[in-house]
Amino acid sequence: MSLASLAHPRQDFSYGFLDAFAKRELRRRMLKAIAIPGFQVPYASRELPIARGWGTGGLQVTLSIVSPTDTLKVIDQGADDSVNAANLRRFIARMTSVATTTDTLAATVIQSRHRVPEERLREGQVLVLQVPDPEPLRQVQPDSSRAREMHADADYAQMWLTLYEQLVRFGRFMQGASYPVLVHGRYLMSPSPIPRWDTPALHQAAHLTLLSAGREKRLYAVPPYTDVRPIEFEDVFFQVENMAGRICMLTGARNKFMDELPVAEGGSQFRLSDTGYAAKLLRRARGDAATLGATYFDDEGHFYQPGVIRAE
Amino acid sequence: MAYVAARGGEAAILQSEQLHQLLNAPLSLATVRMIEASLPYLVDRVMGEGSLYAPELAALALAQTGGDLYEAVLLLRAYRSTQPRLAYAEPVTQTELLTVRRISASFKDIPGGQILGPSLDYSHRLLRLDLLDQDNQEHSASAPPAATVSSDAPAGEAPPSYDPSPLAVADWQRSEGLLAAVPEVPPTDPASLPDLTREPADFPAPRAHRLQALARADTGGVLALGYASMRGYGLAHPTVNELRLAYADVRLRHPVTGEAFSIGRVRVSQCEVVNTQATELRLGYTATLGWNEVKCIAGAMLDLEMDAPQPHPAHSEEFVLYHTEPVEASGFCIHYKLPHYVTFQSGLDALREARATAADAPTEPGDAQ
Repeated sequence: MSLASLAHPRQDFSYGFLDAFAKRELRRRMLKAIAIPGFQVPYASRELPIARGWGTGGLQVTLSIVSPTDTLKVIDQGADDSVNAANLRRFIARMTSVATTTDTLAATVIQSRHRVPEERLREGQVLVLQVPDPEPLRQVQPDSSRAREMHADADYAQMWLTLYEQLVRFGRFMQGASYPVLVHGRYLMSPSPIPRWDTPALHQAAHLTLLSAGREKRLYAVPPYTDVRPIEFEDVFFQVENMAGRICMLTGARNKFMDELPVAEGGSQFRLSDTGYAAKLLRRARGDAATLGATYFDDEGHFYQPGVIRAE
Repeated sequence: MAYVAARGGEAAILQSEQLHQLLNAPLSLATVRMIEASLPYLVDRVMGEGSLYAPELAALALAQTGGDLYEAVLLLRAYRSTQPRLAYAEPVTQTELLTVRRISASFKDIPGGQILGPSLDYSHRLLRLDLLDQDNQEHSASAPPAATVSSDAPAGEAPPSYDPSPLAVADWQRSEGLLAAVPEVPPTDPASLPDLTREPADFPAPRAHRLQALARADTGGVLALGYASMRGYGLAHPTVNELRLAYADVRLRHPVTGEAFSIGRVRVSQCEVVNTQATELRLGYTATLGWNEVKCIAGAMLDLEMDAPQPHPAHSEEFVLYHTEPVEASGFCIHYKLPHYVTFQSGLDALREARATAADAPTEPGDAQ
């Protein structure tokens, strides 16, 4: 009997790339994050074969929760077909043999960089958002230990002040993506750089959202049916991006989040940012079968939960 | 070999250099050629920081120093400083570049197209362990499958058209009124441009000095300060408007005929970042010799923020440009290896006397009240 016959055949990498200890740590942190909505839970954050800051936080979460029975969708800025999304999907599939899809309705796990799909997510689905900067207080307090104290005291006065200053200087709130939200009346949270258009989708959502920042080593969560409110004043409200008048050049869709495409001769064209949704609209237009889910915003631009966007 | 023996001990210096060479592979022309051919990004980095475009010399510098980056940059700079200035090349413009990679993060698609070009950005960073033991059959069987490349275009279909010199994204933004127009500058005699290698920088520095300093800045230094700015200490939240890797023809005017002609091609990289947090877009820019994306992106971020009023180091032009100068910074850092026992003795003398005074004092300063 040789030593080699007693050993397992050598495998260069574990299932899901991460070793069992890393996965266990991540799952425990996720449970804690779900138990304290909006609270940033530190974790060790392993290096992955993808560049740091390119979605390694989301990737660690996804690799720790997918199993061979899952169906995975990966999007970057709404697109399934962008090189970054294609690359992450290729990597996860290679490491877990998970089935992949571009259809939001068919996915059980959706890893996303900076978008929530247009079609409403349902119970049982998990949205994993990649987070570059988990700290919503960073712009007013770059020192993380002091920011942590402010969270402990729920001392968010400087954020309101920032909003007020923007109002005075520019006549409106200037925050673009990553619009800060208050989770269940307790923790201020960065929803990751999703456009403001997607922020209301997190409020009283049926699905679970996990947010993870690999470089900054923090993860946090919004459990199903949790209040997520963008910060605003009683008389000046949070606004989503103005999509009025923008019509998708491919599908004719309107009142969805649009990509602006510069035209060399001047001016711009528009295209649905959510490519999975656009593909289904095109299939249906061709007369092929395509199941479209209900969307967060209807064709008139009204959000499905009345009263959540007070500026409407 | 005692340290003090280095005081004028020529033999010690020779022995020390010899030992250094013994620990490295023998210096040979083959090594130099191999470095130039197989480590182009390292060669580019040394050329950029050395501010001398000479791949063969940069490879030689790397071979000679065993890959010590700062030593290699110093070798190249020391050589460069001895070279006469024979002529001034014509300005290189965007539309004359032979662009091989050009991406914009601001828009999904841009006029002229996103050109991914050569990049490891989307590679899976898995060590090719199979390469190390190719003789081990069992192992190579479990190695990750090598990626296969196939063309997207179906057979018989023409490949997408490729414009090697696309218009800048910023030009579209200018035509849309989002970005201030480029100020009209009368044609300048290149010889009259401020030249950082011929005159010291004074602050606030002329634009030319700032861009020259960034072009030859230490990649790691620019990255550290740029990253601090990006991560949380900056005021802007810029987007990469355009990042380009390209070949540029170096064109001279013939001294007799006055005709412009190319004397060779250099690899160049440039990055332009844009900030939206105002009523008009603002640009930051860095370009360098060789392909060095990290330096160009971080440098462009710093260019955008270097005049900000907030008292953070990365917001001061002087702080950024002084401390990212690789030859000066590394040189001063390693000067601490020189004997300092005279100055140290002087300080020690003061310290001892202060201790004695404190010991003689009747009460501790804290007991004064």
